Amino acid sequence: MTVSRLPAPIRLAQTLAVIGTLIALPFAAVAQTAPADGEGIVVYNAQHVSLMQAWTQGFTRDTGIKVTVRKGSDMELGNQIVQEGAGSPADVFVTENSPAMALVDNAGLFAPIEPGTLAQVPENFRPANGHWVGVAARSTVFAYNTSLLKPDQLPKSLLDLAQPEWKGRWAASPAGADFQAIVSALLQLKGEAATAAWLKGMKENARFYRGNGVVLKAINAGEIPGGVIYHYYYVGDQANTGENSKNVALHYFRNGDPGAFVSISGAGVLKSSRHAKEAQAFVKWMTATPGQEILKTGNSYEYAVGNGAESNPRLEPLDKLGAPVVAPDKLNNKAVTDMMTAAGLM
Amino acid sequence: MTVRPRRALCAAAGHSLMTSLLPSAKPTLRRAGRWPHAPAFALAGIVALVALLPLGFVAWVTIQTGWQTVQALVFRGRVGDLLVNTLLLEIATIPIAIALAVALAWLTERSDLPWGRFWAWLAVAPLAVPAFVHSYAWVTVAPGLHGLWAATLVSVLAYFPFLYLPVAAQLRRLDPAMEDVAASLGLSPFQVFLRVVLPQLRIAILGGALLVGLHLLAEYGLYVMIQFDTFTTAIVDQFQSSFQGAAANMLAGVLVVCCLALLGLDLLLRGGGRYARVGAGAARLAPRHRLGLATLPCLVLPVATATLALGIPLLTLGRWLAIGGAGIWQAGPIGDAIGQTVMFALGGAALTTVIAIPMAWLSVRSPGRLQRLLEACHYYVGALPGVVVALALVTVTVRVAHPLYQTVFTVLLAYALLFLPRALIGLRASIAQAPVELERAAMALGRPPLSAIWATTIRLAAPGAAASMAMVALGISNELTATLLLAPNGTRTLATEFWAATAEIDYTGAAPYAVMMVVASLPLVFMLHAQSKRAAGR
Amino acid sequence: MTELVLRGVGKRYGAVTALAGIDLTISGGARTAVIGQSGSGKTTLLRIIGGFEAPDAGRVTLDGEVLADGPAIVPAHRRGIGFVPQDGALFPHLTIAENIGFGIERGAADREARIVGLIDMVELDRRVLARRPHELSGGQQQRVALARALARRPRLMLLDEPFSALDTGLREAMRKAVATILSQAGITTILVTHDQAEALSFADQVAVLRNGELAQVGPPTQLYHHPRDPATAAFLGDAIILQAELGDGVASCALGRIAAHTGTRRGQAQIMLRPEQLRLTPAQGPGDARVTEVEFGGASCRVTVALPDATTFPVGVSSLDLPLIGAPVDIAVQGAAHVF
Repeated sequence: MTVSRLPAPIRLAQTLAVIGTLIALPFAAVAQTAPADGEGIVVYNAQHVSLMQAWTQGFTRDTGIKVTVRKGSDMELGNQIVQEGAGSPADVFVTENSPAMALVDNAGLFAPIEPGTLAQVPENFRPANGHWVGVAARSTVFAYNTSLLKPDQLPKSLLDLAQPEWKGRWAASPAGADFQAIVSALLQLKGEAATAAWLKGMKENARFYRGNGVVLKAINAGEIPGGVIYHYYYVGDQANTGENSKNVALHYFRNGDPGAFVSISGAGVLKSSRHAKEAQAFVKWMTATPGQEILKTGNSYEYAVGNGAESNPRLEPLDKLGAPVVAPDKLNNKAVTDMMTAAGLM
Repeated sequence: MTVRPRRALCAAAGHSLMTSLLPSAKPTLRRAGRWPHAPAFALAGIVALVALLPLGFVAWVTIQTGWQTVQALVFRGRVGDLLVNTLLLEIATIPIAIALAVALAWLTERSDLPWGRFWAWLAVAPLAVPAFVHSYAWVTVAPGLHGLWAATLVSVLAYFPFLYLPVAAQLRRLDPAMEDVAASLGLSPFQVFLRVVLPQLRIAILGGALLVGLHLLAEYGLYVMIQFDTFTTAIVDQFQSSFQGAAANMLAGVLVVCCLALLGLDLLLRGGGRYARVGAGAARLAPRHRLGLATLPCLVLPVATATLALGIPLLTLGRWLAIGGAGIWQAGPIGDAIGQTVMFALGGAALTTVIAIPMAWLSVRSPGRLQRLLEACHYYVGALPGVVVALALVTVTVRVAHPLYQTVFTVLLAYALLFLPRALIGLRASIAQAPVELERAAMALGRPPLSAIWATTIRLAAPGAAASMAMVALGISNELTATLLLAPNGTRTLATEFWAATAEIDYTGAAPYAVMMVVASLPLVFMLHAQSKRAAGR
Repeated sequence: MTELVLRGVGKRYGAVTALAGIDLTISGGARTAVIGQSGSGKTTLLRIIGGFEAPDAGRVTLDGEVLADGPAIVPAHRRGIGFVPQDGALFPHLTIAENIGFGIERGAADREARIVGLIDMVELDRRVLARRPHELSGGQQQRVALARALARRPRLMLLDEPFSALDTGLREAMRKAVATILSQAGITTILVTHDQAEALSFADQVAVLRNGELAQVGPPTQLYHHPRDPATAAFLGDAIILQAELGDGVASCALGRIAAHTGTRRGQAQIMLRPEQLRLTPAQGPGDARVTEVEFGGASCRVTVALPDATTFPVGVSSLDLPLIGAPVDIAVQGAAHVF
């Protein structure tokens, strides 16, 4: 190549300034949406984005306190908080299930919830030590394709699904925190040996999908007769178009069966929070009437848990579910993922 | 060595200010170093060390975890299943993609297929659709689509352009005289293709196949939607169940071994052969083969490919947009995501390009053993999946460098590592275009070395640097896994927002983000297309 | 011995006529050079003979076998015509042995022996057989390309400017070597080139192609000394073209009365002399012409002289008696001038 003439010179300093500015851009961009120190709170959120959005919008509207949300899954965020320790940027932790709350609480990272907040939630929806509080609940169900399974063919207990006759006939989403919470309840109720055996049977019998919504779709499409999911995927789809659930019905195990487990979505305030007052206020708001009302009127279709709060009328009443008694603060997800890893489910 | 201010020296000698500006003022002597490019080597060395971080991380956690645990976590059925899945996916996808790419390239470059240029564009265009948007489209059209064959189908459609581009460029570059000679030696046209054309496409095919193979290992979103477990999806599963636990780290270790194995296999197959045209002078423009009666059947291939790889994604996006109506275009969140994506892309691209400069310069100006070693460090890291790099950075920052934890800097660093090769390739080519004589001339005219290099080589390489910066920026704007794992609080990019929406099966809400990503990726298609034309000298 | 006959061969590319009605006969064993400037259609002609392209019109026959009749052609791989392209076009992915053996059936029992025989024939060291093309010099590559083409024992060999990429000295040596090898093998050969010296020294027959038409065909000496028109004359070498009045075996021109092949022609005509026909001697007095330029070129030096009527032309002189610029010289003409 022949170069007859150099292009116009560019000053080194100017170019460095431009490059510096370019690199600084994303810092500025994130700073804009993240709170400056002393302003607003950071919520580590494992709950559905849309539900959390409704809560934070209502809270900010009522109190003027800004909320920054980091989305993750239950155990990811729970473990993250544990690893971050006292340096965690999180003020509030909200989950879909209890095991992640137990994990953080066992690490001693939660500050006690204000008594006023605890008083808004019945005792069975919060741990005895009052370090966190339930904000919503979801019920385990057996969803089934009505043309592939007749009511008399349904399993009587979750434990039945490990039997050979269910081989290739049910589905689950084992990678998700939801299913792991169900297994952790099983572990608490039936012990380690029974749980390990059940997981082994599951590995044999079940078809695995990613996400409860996908399981529901597969059942609806007749790919698989049934599956273990939470209730609201079905109810939400029914309320929407019904496109993914028109061939599906729900079966509740009831009778205190592990399959009737009701999982508590929790909220807690981090001990390390530098905005403890605002953080406590947020948890209080979620468990009070305005927060619980969103569960009734919104499209999350999770159960409301506050004292006197009503759930959406489309839901099977909470007190008729026959849920087993499980201590939410004793649910051990680490043991579950280890057992599931050992069983080859992860 | 002492450096005395020249002014003082002159004053002491009683010279006037005027004479002190003349070159007759005696310069201090400096001993020429054994390493004339030592500063550049030092800078490139630092970048190479940072690039080794993910590899070091794997080694470190393996040691930390302890052999017993490693054994329990690595040698188990699940890892075997994943290995089989990953292997089957590679074995199924790559040959099909090669066959499709070679057939399309031959039809568009060497036959008189009608509208050849148009089909050539359409064969590159699927790259504008991020892989996870491809699978988003397919699961919409065929909700029951999952498993190996589904994964293979979508992978081929999403990644075959990576093979088409080099193969088409190489086909254009081939000296047609060789085909004439082979024909004169009694080979039928098909035999000519098999024995002369195909072997010369080997390097192009290998390069493309390696790229596709690495993408298959690294991709997350595509396989999650299509319900196919690979190492990458399993690592993210473990991460979501336990943050950065030992199980995730060990899977990452196995994945790194897979990547290195792929790189080694490529090196092995490539061999020492030279495949360039021997001799000087420009090759004649290759004549196009007449398809004749076969034209119509041959048209089926590009039409079908375009329908599956472009028609399906665009139709689905259109459908979801229509269903969603105006309601899904929430200006606030979408504007935020666009703004942040653009800024991350620009910032990451600037950082990547800047840190690639020393290596690119050395590769042209000071080739040698050390340079090759450093360059290898720069390149291998781009072959690693985003999830591995992200996991390494999460672990290192949360445990060792906590002030950097969950900062924009860490995200940018991950991008820089992932896209280092992209920046390096473009930079190196454009620096090679600037003759070293210019630097020497500038130094002879009184510029110190750095300034001389800046004023000549770097200035001349600026357009090339801008182009590779754009390539990096486009890569960043579609990046998902590293962004998911590393993003500071408050980060919302197009990819993460799209992903969050699809995770809730909110396909209508995801559509605007997908559309924005496709629009943002369109320039990539134009650039890659132009680049392959240029590589072929047209 | 093989005879190639072209009758009325024509080829167009869109609006451009590459070849227009070419008639050419190439007799067995002969070496024919097709010469023309770039764009004259010589490569197209070669490609039509080779079967890489189909003519729009005309017939090509080899030993009476029809190779092309208009657009209907026998494809290249069924013709048995050898081809050595520019730069050799060796297959870069194959060794030299594999290149040479490319056209020999893989199962042939004497394959190895033939390869060795061929490498000997083109006078290359047998050790190169294991190497790759890029490890060879340009001249070696050309020899391999020739050996590869010879392997099929072709009836006809096509050489497409095979020496143009080589250095001057090597080019001449290669030309001689190739001519010898092909003569010994008794293969009819067509060389396409734009280098007139190469064409004249290589071929038994030269065909000059201009704008897609054959300007002239004949033995090299005839073409050089008796070109059909001034353009052909100039294309084959330096030519001094003068206006003259023809007499009986003589022509009166700016150089005076000189011998000329006038035949029966009389009156005004253009005549041509080659520079080497002129001899310069230092003049006493004004002389026939004046030296305007001296170009020292070692073995062959050239002097430009101007006649009193301002006509200028080059003359070849010995390096031992170079005149000075401005010196008056006398011009003596050897042999007869050619009349157009």
